[in-house]
Amino acid sequence: MPTQEEIFEKVQAALCDALAVDEEEVTPDATLVGDLGAESIDFLDIVFKLEKSFDIKIPRGELFPEDILTDGEFVEDGKINEKGLAKLRERMPFANLDAIEENPNVQDFANNLTVQDMCNYVATKVA
Amino acid sequence: MRFLLIDRIVDYQAGESIRAIKSLSLAEDYLQDHFPLFPVMPGVLMLESMTQTCAWYMRMAEEFAYSMVTLDEARNVKYANFVEPGQSLIVEAVLQKQEGRLYTFKAQGLVDDKVSVSARLRLTCYNRAELDGDYFAPLDAYCKQEMLQIFNLIYPPAARNQAATNGQAAGGQLLR
Amino acid sequence: MRWFWIDRFTEFVRGEHAVAVKCVSLSEDFLHDHFPGVGVFPNSLVVEGMAQTGGLLAGQYYDFKERVVLAKVSKAQFYCSAEPGQTLVYRAVLDQIDPTGAITTCTAHVQDRLQCEAQIFFAHIDRDTAHRPLFTPHEFATTVRSLRIFEVGRTPEGEPLTTPDHFVEAERAAMAAVGA
Repeated sequence: MPTQEEIFEKVQAALCDALAVDEEEVTPDATLVGDLGAESIDFLDIVFKLEKSFDIKIPRGELFPEDILTDGEFVEDGKINEKGLAKLRERMPFANLDAIEENPNVQDFANNLTVQDMCNYVATKVA
Repeated sequence: MRFLLIDRIVDYQAGESIRAIKSLSLAEDYLQDHFPLFPVMPGVLMLESMTQTCAWYMRMAEEFAYSMVTLDEARNVKYANFVEPGQSLIVEAVLQKQEGRLYTFKAQGLVDDKVSVSARLRLTCYNRAELDGDYFAPLDAYCKQEMLQIFNLIYPPAARNQAATNGQAAGGQLLR
Repeated sequence: MRWFWIDRFTEFVRGEHAVAVKCVSLSEDFLHDHFPGVGVFPNSLVVEGMAQTGGLLAGQYYDFKERVVLAKVSKAQFYCSAEPGQTLVYRAVLDQIDPTGAITTCTAHVQDRLQCEAQIFFAHIDRDTAHRPLFTPHEFATTVRSLRIFEVGRTPEGEPLTTPDHFVEAERAAMAAVGA
């Protein structure tokens, strides 16, 4: 089983490749969208590279829950509702979602996902 | 068709950046295939516009010392919107680093202030004779002469001199 | 300049991989600008050759019913240049495909030397929002046929590829119109 450090290095390499950024920019606290400039096509690329790098399968929506974030049942007026938050917690136990309670804007949620969140996710898949 | 994917250089900051324009015309013959019922600039020609913009930067920076300027690596080339005939792609390239003859740029192309394409490009420059011997030296010289002529069309001396007057570094000294 | 950056397919296995070739010739006018006196095949057009190889491989998977467009080139590295008189050989491997798009890993070789390797992402243009067709059915069927896809194409089990119904209809109508 890979160590935390090994996971971080491989995640960092996948992000550098997918987003054409330098290693120094990919810190644990860096946000994928805000700091590293990731867009939806990049998420596809990142998932693909992580699957190959760790020999895991990442079902669509498990890492980036686009389906929840675009579902009227969970998002109203651009804000994630309580049902949505519960659904996200269920889908993404690896992520720190406390920030959503203070700021439920869908746009900001996407922007807050960090490199560390991704490492935590990968750790759950390779365990 | 001429393989000139930049019509005009509008700004050049030595050591920093370059901006150029590519206007798309329905008369460009490849549009009849791409696509017959929905003519739009092919993604790789948007890439070529960005590449040529960077190449002109390098030709100016290296004072037209090299005949060949080629794409060495293209990373994260992403497409957001189409470019249609009648529209202009404004290409901006910012130098990220230079290692010898390898120049790395962050480039993007905008239509109506919206990003249509973006990429990280690394280009290199050389004379063919360096790779394949003195046989090519006259061809390198011919190439450089021709490229300088094209340069004077897309970044006319008047525009360069105006830029110099405005306090910006320009390629004015390249006039021969 | 026409927009054909592969000349023909030499291998085509549905859902797996395809190989196509592109001959580089001094009669191609753009080579005289790139560069004057020292023609080298532009690397952006190598990307297009790989994209056409991979894009048609992806398109055939759904019988050419989805419109496939270039969405992202993840990383394209170039190792040498192709020159007039040489042949580029493009190989595309389909890594992933679903109704939203496809991911391919592509290479270009010239005279058996690796010229480029790249990862290319395609998107299927949303049928709901994109109401503009790209080709007439007959034009597209003709292009695909002329690239020899149905001649060399095989399923992974080795069976010949079948021409999609909508192509057959378009070609039949066109042939009937000229009394063929």
